[in-house]
Amino acid sequence: MKIGLMITCINDALYADTAIAVVKVLERLGHNIYFPEQQSCCGQMHLNSGYRKEGIELAKRSIAVFEEFDYVVSPSASCVGTIREVYHNAAVATGDHRFEEVTTTFSPKVFEFSEFLIDILEVEDVGASFPHKVAYHPTCHSLRVTKAGDRPMRLLNAVRNLQLIELEKSDSCCGFGGVFALKNSDTSIAMGSDKFTSVKKSGAEVLCSLDNSCLTHIGGIAEKMNSGLRVMHLAEILAQTGDQK
Amino acid sequence: MTSRTFDDPRPFQKQVISALADSQLRANLGHATSTIRNKRAKVVAELEDWEALRDHGAYIKDLAQSILPELIRQVEVNVTATGGKVHFAKDAAEANQIAIALTKSYGAKSVVKIKSMATQEIELNKAFEEAGLEAFETDLAELIVQLGDDLPSHILVPAIHKNRSQIREIFIEKMGRSGVPAPKGLTDSPKELAAAARNHLRARFLESKVAISGGNFLVAETGSIVIVESEGNGRMCLTLPETLISVVGIDKIVPDWSSLEVFLQLLPRSSTGERMNPYTSIFTGVTAGDGPKNFHLILIDNGRTEALQDPVGREVLRCIRCSACLNVCPVYERAGGHSYGSTYPGPIGAVLVPQIRRGSIGKLEKSLPYASSLCGACYEVCPVKIDIPKLLVELRSQNVDRARDQGALTGEKLLMEVVYATFRSPRLFASSLDIARKGASLIGKRKVNIAPPPLSAWTKARSLPLPRGESFRDWMRENHPDHIVASAKAMSGESITKSTTNGLRQLGRFGLHLQHDLAKKRLRGNSDGMASFKVPNHQPIATPYKADLSIGQTIDEFVAPIKAITSSGFTKPIEPTTSYRTKGGLSPHEIVDLFIDRTIDYKATITRCNEKELAKTIQELLSKNQSSSLVAPKDFNPYWLSDKVLKFVTFDDQISHDRLDAIDSVVTTSAVAVASSGTIILDGGEGQGRRAISLIVDHHIAVVFEDQIVEVLPEAIGRINHRAPQTWISGPSATSDIELERVEGVHGPRKLDVIVVRRG
Repeated sequence: MKIGLMITCINDALYADTAIAVVKVLERLGHNIYFPEQQSCCGQMHLNSGYRKEGIELAKRSIAVFEEFDYVVSPSASCVGTIREVYHNAAVATGDHRFEEVTTTFSPKVFEFSEFLIDILEVEDVGASFPHKVAYHPTCHSLRVTKAGDRPMRLLNAVRNLQLIELEKSDSCCGFGGVFALKNSDTSIAMGSDKFTSVKKSGAEVLCSLDNSCLTHIGGIAEKMNSGLRVMHLAEILAQTGDQK
Repeated sequence: MTSRTFDDPRPFQKQVISALADSQLRANLGHATSTIRNKRAKVVAELEDWEALRDHGAYIKDLAQSILPELIRQVEVNVTATGGKVHFAKDAAEANQIAIALTKSYGAKSVVKIKSMATQEIELNKAFEEAGLEAFETDLAELIVQLGDDLPSHILVPAIHKNRSQIREIFIEKMGRSGVPAPKGLTDSPKELAAAARNHLRARFLESKVAISGGNFLVAETGSIVIVESEGNGRMCLTLPETLISVVGIDKIVPDWSSLEVFLQLLPRSSTGERMNPYTSIFTGVTAGDGPKNFHLILIDNGRTEALQDPVGREVLRCIRCSACLNVCPVYERAGGHSYGSTYPGPIGAVLVPQIRRGSIGKLEKSLPYASSLCGACYEVCPVKIDIPKLLVELRSQNVDRARDQGALTGEKLLMEVVYATFRSPRLFASSLDIARKGASLIGKRKVNIAPPPLSAWTKARSLPLPRGESFRDWMRENHPDHIVASAKAMSGESITKSTTNGLRQLGRFGLHLQHDLAKKRLRGNSDGMASFKVPNHQPIATPYKADLSIGQTIDEFVAPIKAITSSGFTKPIEPTTSYRTKGGLSPHEIVDLFIDRTIDYKATITRCNEKELAKTIQELLSKNQSSSLVAPKDFNPYWLSDKVLKFVTFDDQISHDRLDAIDSVVTTSAVAVASSGTIILDGGEGQGRRAISLIVDHHIAVVFEDQIVEVLPEAIGRINHRAPQTWISGPSATSDIELERVEGVHGPRKLDVIVVRRG
């Protein structure tokens, strides 16, 4: 089984720790994961902003980079969601049948990190320890596109010393939404502030999710408020063993 | 009274500012949308076949689009054959001109209106005002909006942005200016506010000569119009005035009656969060002795054909205006309806408005597709499975393509192109990351709080992280150099190998284009019982109208552009593989229990007896209601009335509306009842009478025999006389227009007594 790591452009640029965490967790479970260094971006930003021509080129490029793998694992529900749904929509809308066929073969190989652990590796306990109060925020793409369901909760519940905190209205969008955060920044901030307030109210020390993009938004508000709330990708929590850091 | 219309051309981002700052609005909206969300979730969870119903809802609408020209012709033939007249309006202006000409030709100075999105869309009220006519809204929420000189902000609850105390103020200040004033000492209790509306509108209903409605569905098979509502104002408008004008978009046409068994399950649950709305009226043309003498249907296109032209975007024409997408939308919850700048707010507005205004895209229309975080909550609840996020992305792409064609150079375009060029080249991408990392280390900060535009839009409330420390690529080089795959392949999209493509062909997932046979499949059994129904006496329009018939289009002119689209490579929809319940599984005994349970749930009272006890039971219910007068249909079985009751009963023989208004109670039988939704259906059959008697009288006693109760809606459809005017009743009249709090009793009977009778 040859596993490819799609770290995503945002992690490549800003969140090396998340990508490193994915490698460490999989290693701990006895798997090698390979990093094709030609990867860049799945095309989500361009596709969702209407720059379809560019987005499709980036999509095709990503598929080419990863096509040799049996599995492609990515620590991002929104990028995996893009591959599963938006690629197909773009192919149909442009009448690009070849791309439609290719993406239909490719996308079943692509797994969001929590899906890969639970569905393919069939593990819940990855041997992590993290003595903190953690709230889980289901990002919209993990909730409605990849349909992560209770997988992240099962993984978090198996982490030693971790206290999982319930979040009120957890399924409401944080307001990031990619280009939405800039084009409709006022509404985006209003949504993010409500999300931040509900996290604060929960008493969680750490907010965890499957998408660093949403965490950048919520964490950015938390930071500007000097709230002391930490945001961490699920993979980073699962990488903690209590021996390090 | 003045009619305000949406006329702010500014983009969504600008219009939203005032809404975001209005904490009262946010509180009103948050409360209302969460109430209705929870109600919906509860009644949807009751149906195990919900997903199948959604599949079929989507399919039927797609099917209707694909055969739209034929369906329009069918509508025209059937409406004309039953005494109505169909007019064809290409756009809003034509539709308004026709409605105005008709109203004037009947000598009316004003009309009463049923809440209708189509007439909002064409801004009919304003056109009437400009023509020297008055259009009075009769739906409670529309009345609040009209009296308050306001704009609607929600599809179902146009006054959702107002709370009870704001509504009280509007009533006290404004009701007297256009009619019966609000009672003295009016409090802000929703019950009192609803009663004030009843009182304000009562005389108007009884006096008006012309009513204007929209239509939720238009059944091509028979030319019947379906109108769902709660308060009874709709029934008033559809039944009492002499002339009825219905303005209906061509997207509301469904092929047949079995379509209704799907949509009348999907719509109320998605819309008001009820198993069935209190009243559904279905009528066909003009019926002698029951309802309006003149009926005009104005079919409107108004941009729908242009939307139909877009193979992706046409999905939006499935919309049944339920507003479920508004209630779950986090953007709508903060932005409110007015920020969307049109009659159609929320996620559906963001995709519908740019589509039907393809010919006149301005700043607002361009901005709407971006008024979403693409969270997908709307798609999840849409009863006809409109993939709103997909359509938003499609419209964004069309915006970009349009700008490209025009050669416009914007900052955004430049940025996207630079980013694209970087992502495309692995070397450029890797080195950009390095440069960014080095630059960030020079700043010496982990995050920045202030940045120049366009990033200032981010940093005004969020810090911006900077790349820091070791990059992942460096970490890999140090720790796992052997796990880095340096593909030598040229990394363009064209390098995708043939093996991938071939692998897929074998999956064959997209080769299936099933042919469907509309007529055979869809009319399953429903017409079985039709032969036994009496064909109602449909009469041609009674009063000659001198409206200028040169306004509007001929059917050929109207259909031609639609035909041009549907006849050239139009994708035929694929029939769903799922199936919804067409038969129940309960025993007769359980069905009766379920019916009683569900009827009580909607605040009707239930009495059970056997046929011999019926006369006594009716007498008891009348005395309990302290009724001293009763009206019964002409053909109501006199053996079911006691000697005492026979002394004061009036058997209806077209008695006047004013006289009916003075009668305490009405008793009728029913055609069929549906247990799962607690619905009683009257179709004018024996003992049911014309529609006005079970509407104007305030206390309705409905007699239902146990063997008339079916479990699920599809079983009922086959038992109704499709061509007769019908009233579907689920509980007494009600409104939830004030803070989503349900109040029983508005315009229809405020009290509903149901007698469940065992035969023999």
